[in-house]
Amino acid sequence: MCRLLLGLVLVLGLASSASADQAADIVAEADRFRRPADSFVWKITITSQEAKKTPSVDGFEVFVKGGGRVFVRFVAPPRSVGRSLLALGRDLWIYLPDAGKPVRIPLSQRLVGQVANGDIARADYAGDYDATLTGEDALDGVACHVLDLKAKTKDVTYSAIKYWVSKEGRRPVRAEFYAGTGTLLKTGTFDNFRDVGGHLLATRLTLTDAIRKDKRSVLDYGEVSVRELPDKYFDKNYMKTLD
Amino acid sequence: MRRVVAAAILLLGAAASACADEGEPPEWLKALRLRGRLAEEFAYRLHDPGDVSKLKTLGWLEGKYAFSDAVAVRAAVRGWYDAVFDATDRYPANVERDQKTDISLREALLTVGRGDFDVRLGRQQIVWGEAISVFITDIVNPKDFREFVLPDFSELRIPIWALDFTYRLTEGVSFEGVWTPDTMHNRLPKQGAEFQFARLPYRFRNPVVHLPDDADEFSLARSEGGFRLSLLRRGWDVSLIYYDEADKSPVFFQRRVAQPPRPDVIVIDPQHPRVHVVGATLGKSFEPVVVRAEAAYTIGKRYETTDPLDLDGVVRRDTLDWLVGVDYTFFERLDTALQLSQKVLMGSATNLTRPGVAARVTTSLALRLTTGFFDNTLNPTVLFVTGVNRGDFRLSPRIDYLLTGAVTLSVGADLFEGPHLTLYGQFDRNDRVTFTTTWRF
Repeated sequence: MCRLLLGLVLVLGLASSASADQAADIVAEADRFRRPADSFVWKITITSQEAKKTPSVDGFEVFVKGGGRVFVRFVAPPRSVGRSLLALGRDLWIYLPDAGKPVRIPLSQRLVGQVANGDIARADYAGDYDATLTGEDALDGVACHVLDLKAKTKDVTYSAIKYWVSKEGRRPVRAEFYAGTGTLLKTGTFDNFRDVGGHLLATRLTLTDAIRKDKRSVLDYGEVSVRELPDKYFDKNYMKTLD
Repeated sequence: MRRVVAAAILLLGAAASACADEGEPPEWLKALRLRGRLAEEFAYRLHDPGDVSKLKTLGWLEGKYAFSDAVAVRAAVRGWYDAVFDATDRYPANVERDQKTDISLREALLTVGRGDFDVRLGRQQIVWGEAISVFITDIVNPKDFREFVLPDFSELRIPIWALDFTYRLTEGVSFEGVWTPDTMHNRLPKQGAEFQFARLPYRFRNPVVHLPDDADEFSLARSEGGFRLSLLRRGWDVSLIYYDEADKSPVFFQRRVAQPPRPDVIVIDPQHPRVHVVGATLGKSFEPVVVRAEAAYTIGKRYETTDPLDLDGVVRRDTLDWLVGVDYTFFERLDTALQLSQKVLMGSATNLTRPGVAARVTTSLALRLTTGFFDNTLNPTVLFVTGVNRGDFRLSPRIDYLLTGAVTLSVGADLFEGPHLTLYGQFDRNDRVTFTTTWRF
């Protein structure tokens, strides 16, 4: 009997581990649709809209390099030009021309509209979250895996994400972002998949406020330049020089 | 200097118009980046006599030309005209001469990078430190206090001609060296200005002669310099600094000069004694809380004293300034920054008269609250800073309204309270409301 129980525990343990591996693989593959290469520059436009109001448009130039290094230059509108963000893993700085120096800020602080700093500075769900495959669902006729992502540490933008990834091609489809209290903060949908420099990428992310459905921000990923970026671009002491 | 600035404005303006006239700029012009702002600043003094205290039109134009990823030149000019000196006659002529108009070169910089080595040579601001709204380790540039500490810090800092180089020793570790022969001092408001500092009490009843503060502003012999070693490991952002400089604030030495048979004359001689600053800064995010700290130990710091037995009216008190602050966002939308700072004198503070030094240990608290409404187009901010020892404080509420992506309207107030010879209490009668329109391009 003991042997039988031990065997059962082992089988269950292995099955659980295999499921976790599969979930991690799915998330890692979905991440690839949000990152064209290991080192690149990406232009992003964020259009924030609230019902019946004129949408505001913010432009960014995002420099990305492996190891979780992201430098974001604000290029529009004029009131934001001169600002920049630097993310090194989960450490984040903002450079404000009025202050004249980089200042440490949390990833969860809002950038514009429904967009948190971490939404732009971090695109590594596989690195930041532990994934569990919880079931299947169909969204607009697309069969999806449904995954629960739990933050590995407190140093990330969201405590948990419920993530829909298409079964075919493992593309990101939809995400629900939760606070530590379990409150739904916002939902995101990924679409406009395009071939950019030989990589199929999700070039639009729409974030909608969980309570005020008429408040939303659309992140449009535009021109991409894949090139090797110098390491010093990702040094907080170099932020002013890059301005 | 004014000619250089005027030429720079013309060059930048010509380049800008070339950009504007043609749909697609020529290749050489694509490497040029221009931006600027125009602001109209209005302030009304609330206390008797209630009156307009600022009617300033301010322009700022800056450009950067990148020859390559490694080499670039930058220039920035700022000018203003304050019509309050024509609209009212409440300020004396010396203040009008000092503050009515200004045109200055804010940046003229050559940046060259090769591998892990970067050099910045020219007129610039060199900013050290982690904290917001304080100068504990922000010690390289002198400051312009003609409007107290109310303008943005990039406006308060006076740019200096300097050589600034950085070498990245390894990932996350860099060494920065600074050298400058530009030994400019803090710029203080003239007597009769809106934010004139409280006058130090005299020790004697004798006649007084003030000598001018005429130390060289450009001197190889008195050049200043220092270094900063920065380290980033596992999110811990630490830097160590050392800086050798002349005290940027004047220290008023007093000496008695016999003039028999008349009474002795007290000569007040502003000097800038040499000081050595050793400091450290720290920043760390414990998501969602950010912690920052700074400390600076100033060796050779001197203060004025009212002790009648003191020969020169000045005593040395090495001084430790330190700060610790936390940032946290409440309810996902209220950005809060709380800072505690102390100035600790290595010795007695009895008879010391400088505002900002209330006791041997002077403690300050600062709280800043910021939020945004209507998709962050309406942004209220409140800054409250208080001197704990004597209860003086500054309260500055402000609302910024982003009318368009280029135009911002701001309404605010600066309220001061406290005993006369305290940092904020000295401006007890200078409470004001402000209205500013800023257009950026």
